Parts: sequence; structure tokens; C-alpha cells
Amino acid sequence: MADSVIQTVSLSKVYKGELEHKPVTALVDLNLEVQRGEVYAFLGPNGAGKSTTIKLLTRLIFPSTGTITIQGKDIRDRYALDRIGFMPEQPNLYGYLSGREFLDYVGAIFRMSRSVRKERAIELLQLVGLEKGGERAIRGYSRGMTQRLALAQALMNDPDLLILDEPMSNLDPIGRKDVRDIILNLKEEGKTIFFSSHILSDAEMIADRIGILNEGRLVQVGTMSKLVDKQIVSTEVTFEIAPEKLSSIIQKDLTPVQQENRVMVRLSDESQLSELLESVNQSGGKIISVIPQRKSLEEYFIAQLGRN
Amino acid sequence: MRIWAVALNTFKETIRNRILLNILFFAIGLILLSLVVGEWSMYQQVKVIKDFGLSAMSIFGLLIAVFIGIRLMVQELEQKTIYLIISKPIRRWEFVLGKYLGLSITLALNVLLMSLALWGASYLMEGYIDWSLTPAIILLYVEILLVVAFSMLFSSFMMPTVSAIATLMIFIVGHLSDFLMEFIALYPDKGYHWLLNAIYHVAPNLEKLNLKIAVVEDLPYDSSVLTFGLLYGFSYILILLIITAIVFERKDLK
Ligand SMILES: Nc1ncnc2c1ncn2[C@@H]1O[C@H](COP(=O)(O)OP(=O)(O)OP(=O)(O)O)[C@@H](O)[C@H]1O
Ligand SMILES: [Mg+2]
Repeated sequence: MADSVIQTVSLSKVYKGELEHKPVTALVDLNLEVQRGEVYAFLGPNGAGKSTTIKLLTRLIFPSTGTITIQGKDIRDRYALDRIGFMPEQPNLYGYLSGREFLDYVGAIFRMSRSVRKERAIELLQLVGLEKGGERAIRGYSRGMTQRLALAQALMNDPDLLILDEPMSNLDPIGRKDVRDIILNLKEEGKTIFFSSHILSDAEMIADRIGILNEGRLVQVGTMSKLVDKQIVSTEVTFEIAPEKLSSIIQKDLTPVQQENRVMVRLSDESQLSELLESVNQSGGKIISVIPQRKSLEEYFIAQLGRN
Repeated sequence: MRIWAVALNTFKETIRNRILLNILFFAIGLILLSLVVGEWSMYQQVKVIKDFGLSAMSIFGLLIAVFIGIRLMVQELEQKTIYLIISKPIRRWEFVLGKYLGLSITLALNVLLMSLALWGASYLMEGYIDWSLTPAIILLYVEILLVVAFSMLFSSFMMPTVSAIATLMIFIVGHLSDFLMEFIALYPDKGYHWLLNAIYHVAPNLEKLNLKIAVVEDLPYDSSVLTFGLLYGFSYILILLIITAIVFERKDLK
């Protein structure tokens, strides 16, 4: 597809066993497609293969089979990674450099001119809330500060595509919100963001689309709205009615819970709703409440994984 | 320019490293101490100082190669700082070359400082600066560069301790190279000669980079020794860097 920014075809990765270790199949036949301008959350439990995928996308490791295309270029093309920003999981940065020096180094690798580097570094330190730490040696940074600096370096070249491995781990609630806001702002600017997480609420708030990976296989891909729709598993209807009229209303497989003249039923099929509401009305009953029962994304996620 | 960026960063890394500073201070201290040792040896004081000084430079060069050269790669790989650089539009060989260049600059600075101490010591004894030490110092620098190139190659695919031992072996065998050849010539037809031969051919002959005795004893030597040494050393280094780059090119940075 013309507008896919990341595309993998039958991508697999087997880590060769070293010494006494057995080979590990970390990724199996992954066909991933990330569209321009979307925020794609790549979810999965620990060991699912998220970081493996991301390392393949950033050319840190090489595929066992399959191909990767980034912004229309084969990953083996030197310039395929020119317009991306990358943040690894649990990033470690050079402890002997200050935050500003590190950004300057990164800028130099992108062949940015000295003055542009300098300006950009100041701008980014501010963006990630490190105005104060910029001159200090990274050695003395907290985990969260390091994470923020790692995010800043990923933005140094003003990339079109961001690949972030667990961008929100190690952060306190304010830090998480900061990162979410930064991601949403980047999306506004038209950038594509691909990030991994095992924290669903992060994805729920900002992702357009999610892919769920389990044991190296992509088990589900969907737009957020589609998945949220699927989440309505039942509708709970409560109404008041004279007990003798109940039997005429309740049909088939419904199992009402009755308390004097108050009745609660759970509809697993939405199409039954209007029918029920109508017959309650006709029998002189009174609708108290209609509440859709949603499964949380968390539950959905677990259900997905359980099924596979 | 990317290579230069890596080199500059490596230079910063190495000069901000305490181990290096310690080794350097210790080396310079020792060279200056040789003034005292020279006093004891009654006559030939100057020779003792020069001999001692140049030997100290060679040994400390080795130490720096082992401690800094190996750490340089191992740290990048183990702490995964390399992720942030290699995932950018830089080729892996550029990274390797940049690292090596950066370290070479630091080493040049080291050798220069140690040389200043040695020249200073010889000035105190003789009343003039003995520039005739220069060719020996240049070749000594090439020797250090060569050993460092080995340490970088080893540490790009071996465990740090194994790399350190292997580098040390190269240094020792490198200095015994001529002896090894003599041994083979003296006792032909031994079953393990293939091994000795292999070692002889793979390990560099570091004695080819050793002008110490000649300059200290003021012996005449052909100027082609220097030219040959430079050529020999740098071709060796080039080959090692190419192998390191190839190893790196295929490596999964996991
Ligand atoms: N260097 C390696 N050598 C061997 N096996 C590895 C290596 N790195 C990862 N694996 C294995 O590959 C699988 C996927 O690991 P990966 O790091 O990609 O998971 P992940 O989804 O990122 O997990 P997490 O949420 O914990 O970060 C795991 O079974 C892991 O043990
Ligand atoms: Mg991971």
C-alpha cells in the first residue's frame, strides 16, 4: 500500500542459541502494516516479541526470514532510517555526557549543523521537561529523566515516524501524561507513531489502532473504535412491572432476576433491546435503566490471549 | 563527519575516564622516578632512564589498550548505548572506525604526555633534549595502536575477560615472534609446529616496531626501519579494522 509507513512481510526471528542455550523463536510470520499519520499501539505481554520486532525495524538485529519496508525503502537501504526517531526500552545513555552534549552528538550523527543542533537541543530539553537537567551529566539522572532524554533524542531529526519501545514505563503519572501529550501533539503534526506497551490504558487513551502480539504472533489488529464496539458484551435492562405480566414479556433464553416488581435482565444481543422495551411499555411497565456492559480493554486483551 | 562525531564522542569518553587518568599519572610518575633509579646505577644513568622510560611507555600502552580498548566496545554493547547510535543513518563500519579514531587521539595524547616526561627526565640528566628518541616513540605509538586494534576486534565478539587475555597473548607472542621462528627452525619436524606456525603468521611481529635498544644504545639503524615499521603497523591495523567492521556488520545487537 502506498501510504504504509511500516510494512513487514512474513517477518520471523529466531535467536540462535549460544553455548548451552536452545534457539528461541521470538517472532513468527509477522505481517505488520502501519499507516501514515496513525498512532499504532503494539501490545502484548512480557516476552511476546515486541522489542524483537522493534529491534528488527531499527536494524539492530536482522530477520531470520521476511522483509521490512520503512517509508517505502527496504530496511537494508542505508537511508531507510533517515526520517525515523527511535527510543529503545529501558534506554541507557552515555553517562559521561551531559543531556545537552548527548543531543548534540545525536544531531551530529544526523549531520545537522552546529547551530541547528544547539537550537534544537534547547527546544527539546524544554519539550520533555529537562530544562534544568540539560547541563548535568547523564550519570546522575533518574530513570525517568533518562527516559525523557531518550524521547528528546528520538525527536532530534524531526522524524516523520517514531518508533518507541515502552515509552511510558519508568514514568510517574505526571510523566506518563507528559509523554501522552507529546505523542498526541506529534500526531497533530502529522507524524506516525508506533509504540509498544503492555499497559492497556496508555493505548486506550491515544492509539488509533492496536495490534496484539502474543508468543511471537500477531493475534489481533483493529481500530480502537472497532475493538471498543466489540467490548459491549451485554446490555443490562431494569424495569418495573406487575409480576403476573412478566411471563408474557420474557421469552426465550433470558433469565430475569426479580425482586418484587422490579426486574433485571441481561441481553447479550442488542437487537433484542427494542423488542423488550416495547413490550414492557405495552404491558404498562416502567423502564428504570438501560446500561451497556462493557468489557474493559484489559479483559478484552486477556480474553484474546486466552483464546490463542 | 559521522565518523568524526563518533570519534569526538569516544575521545570525550576516554579522557573523562578515571582509569585512564590513573594509568597515565602512574606512568609519568614512574618515568620521573627513573631519575632516582638512574642515580643508583652510577654510570650509564641516562641509558637506564631512557630504557626504563620507553619500556614503561610500552607496558602502560598495553594496559591502556586492555582496559580502555576493551571497555570501549563492551560498554557500548552491554549497556546498549549503541542502540541509539546504530539505529540512526550511520553505517556500522563508520561507527567502528569512529571509535577507533577517537581512541587513537586519546592514545596520542597519552604517548605525548609520557614522552614529555621522558624528554624532561633526559634533559635533567644531559642538559639537552634527546630528539633521537623520537623514532622509537613513534613506533611505540604504532605498537599501541596495533594492540588496541586487536582488543577492539576481540571485544566485538568475545567476553571482556577473554578479550583481555587474548590481547595480552598477542602482546607477548608479538614480542616473542622472532624467538618463535628460531625455535621452529631449531627443532624441525615437531608435531605441533603447525600451531606455532599459525601463531607466527597471525600474531604481529611487534619487534619490528621496537627501536628502543637502537636509540638507547645509540646504535646505527637504517631509516628504512621506521618507514617499514609504519607501513607494517598500519597495514596490520587496517586489516584488523576491516575484520572488526565485518564482524560488526553481521552482529545482532540484541
Ligand atoms: N538476545 C536474546 N537471545 C535469546 N532470546 C531472546 C533474546 N532477546 C529476547 N529473547 C526472547 O525472545 C522472546 C521475545 O522477547 P522480546 O524482548 O521481544 O519481548 P517483549 O515483548 O519486548 O517483552 P517485554 O514486555 O518484557 O519487553 C522472549 O521469549 C525472549 O526470551
Ligand atoms: Mg520489550
